[in-house]
Amino acid sequence: MVQSIFWYLKEFLRGPWIHAFLFAKTAPLVTPSYFREYPSLTEKECTHCFTCRMICPAPGAIEVLQEGGTWHPVIHRGHCLRCGLCVEACPEGVLASGRILQWQEEDRTSFAATFHIQVDHATCMRCGNCCVSCPVNKEQDPQMASGGHSANNEVIMKISSGRHTVIHEERCVGCRTCEGACPNSAIRVARVVEGLQGVAEG
Amino acid sequence: MIVRDVICPFCACLCDDLDVHVEDGRVTGVDNACDLGSHKFMTDHRMKGPVRRTASGWEEIPLEEAIRETAELLEAAERPLLYGWSGTCGEAQSAGVHLAELVGGVIDATTSVCHGPSILAIQEVGHPGCTLGQVKNRADVVVYWGCNPQHAHPRHLSRYTTYADGFFVRNAFKERKVIVADIRGTDSTNLADEFIRLQPGGDYAVLGALRAIVRGKGDVVPPEVAGVSREQLYRIADLCKTAKYGAFFFGMGLTQTAGKYKNIRNAIELVDELSRHTKWTLTPMRGHFNVYGFNEVCTWMTGYPYAVDFARGMAFYNPGETTAVDILARKECDMCLVVASDPAAHFPAEAVEHLASIPVVQLDPFPNLTTAFARIQIPVAVSGIDADGTAYRMDGVPLRLHRVLDRGYPDDAGILLEITRRITGGGSR
Repeated sequence: MVQSIFWYLKEFLRGPWIHAFLFAKTAPLVTPSYFREYPSLTEKECTHCFTCRMICPAPGAIEVLQEGGTWHPVIHRGHCLRCGLCVEACPEGVLASGRILQWQEEDRTSFAATFHIQVDHATCMRCGNCCVSCPVNKEQDPQMASGGHSANNEVIMKISSGRHTVIHEERCVGCRTCEGACPNSAIRVARVVEGLQGVAEG
Repeated sequence: MIVRDVICPFCACLCDDLDVHVEDGRVTGVDNACDLGSHKFMTDHRMKGPVRRTASGWEEIPLEEAIRETAELLEAAERPLLYGWSGTCGEAQSAGVHLAELVGGVIDATTSVCHGPSILAIQEVGHPGCTLGQVKNRADVVVYWGCNPQHAHPRHLSRYTTYADGFFVRNAFKERKVIVADIRGTDSTNLADEFIRLQPGGDYAVLGALRAIVRGKGDVVPPEVAGVSREQLYRIADLCKTAKYGAFFFGMGLTQTAGKYKNIRNAIELVDELSRHTKWTLTPMRGHFNVYGFNEVCTWMTGYPYAVDFARGMAFYNPGETTAVDILARKECDMCLVVASDPAAHFPAEAVEHLASIPVVQLDPFPNLTTAFARIQIPVAVSGIDADGTAYRMDGVPLRLHRVLDRGYPDDAGILLEITRRITGGGSR
């Protein structure tokens, strides 16, 4: 017993150990040189097609907002994973990060996506949150954006005959704004994204 | 045939953009309405004609007989109660107030069991209100306190607050912050940027703490107030103070919990405090489509918003004494005329027990729990579906409801005027 106490003291009362114990420090957080930076804006014009929002795997990382009449994507650093998918998916080349655009040009890669909107009519309350917040609906019918009354049938979806009705699924861009506006996950947008190589975009 | 721009007579949002499809005297579909609204239009669960209770069941009676018997019951009663009124139009409410004065009865609306405390607080400290259009076009912070609009007023968020783009709020879904205060998570809290989860009955304390922080006296706030951390309270106070325009909505989670009208008074004073920094307004989330209307009609006719007693030959108002639940619980009332509401489903057992022991006449399009002990029920037209009428939205804006079809039912205003005519013997009053 006594011997083991001595052993302990001898083992732990060493200068370097005490110093390391009391002044422990993790290495400073630095971004390694081989990491990509967060996506940045190029000079090209954003057409707010929302493809970047569609492809982004991180919740809340990217938004496309209107300011002074022009649209542009906004990256939220706390949420962004720097995966670069938005840069790769943007058909207009609005975003740039690392050497993604260069590789894309060399390899002639692109994405093709299709979407399917699924609504659970048993839980849907027909509150219209999804129809009003949908950015494509807003574009097709500005009346819809300011209160949920649609004046035309060009919108993706609206509340019709007491049901949530999907009219133009092909116009969906997969941005999932509707999912965020639904209080009980009654609407889901399934995305099927294919990676293409050597095929002309569009 | 499609009837356009129909006003929905369900909740006090009074959505005025419905398209109703009518075929062969039936509603076959409703566009733009929420689930609650479209069910009200679509239901076929209406009674056919007036019925009277017999020893073993019900018998159908002609309308004239139902009106005559109701008039006799009202005349014979010592202390009749005329209750309900929130599910019908202003014209019927006006006829109801005249009738109550004529028979020296008590007239009270569902207000007394929902936003009655809000009115008491407003009488004390005023109402910093606004129209819902102001909220839609300007508000960048919206508070829902003690209510679940997503279930009770499903289109409130998409038409007036969170998701609708406004004139000064272009990216509504992004620019508007939503704060929801509740004792439990709900579908509305799922959409909140800040969820204040407070302990039951803690509203007064939390509102008080927020007032202290906004006033600059945050040092008196303990680390936790009714389950809400001081950090969150500071965060919320900052959010509210830096808003360009804030809108405070509250429901029965605030009006009918411990503290009652003092809670609302505290909320109004918080709004007052915040308005020293920026612009804030407060709106009660009224439930039935025209419950606000009764308060308006009753105020311009009697000077008081609800619970008016005409037994003295003049209008007397004393909530707690002349409110329906109290009159029934004291077993004072000896006859009750229920119009467009369902007290049996919402009153305390003691009040319902007494209600079941006295003659009850009900004017309602649908059978409900009160039907279970009513002596007579007269089915009437539904305002906004098969009758015209005026209703007040939750922000006090009167809207004219138009009928979309005719089903041949009499409207409540007509029946009430006929009852009045019988009591006065046909002469004008």
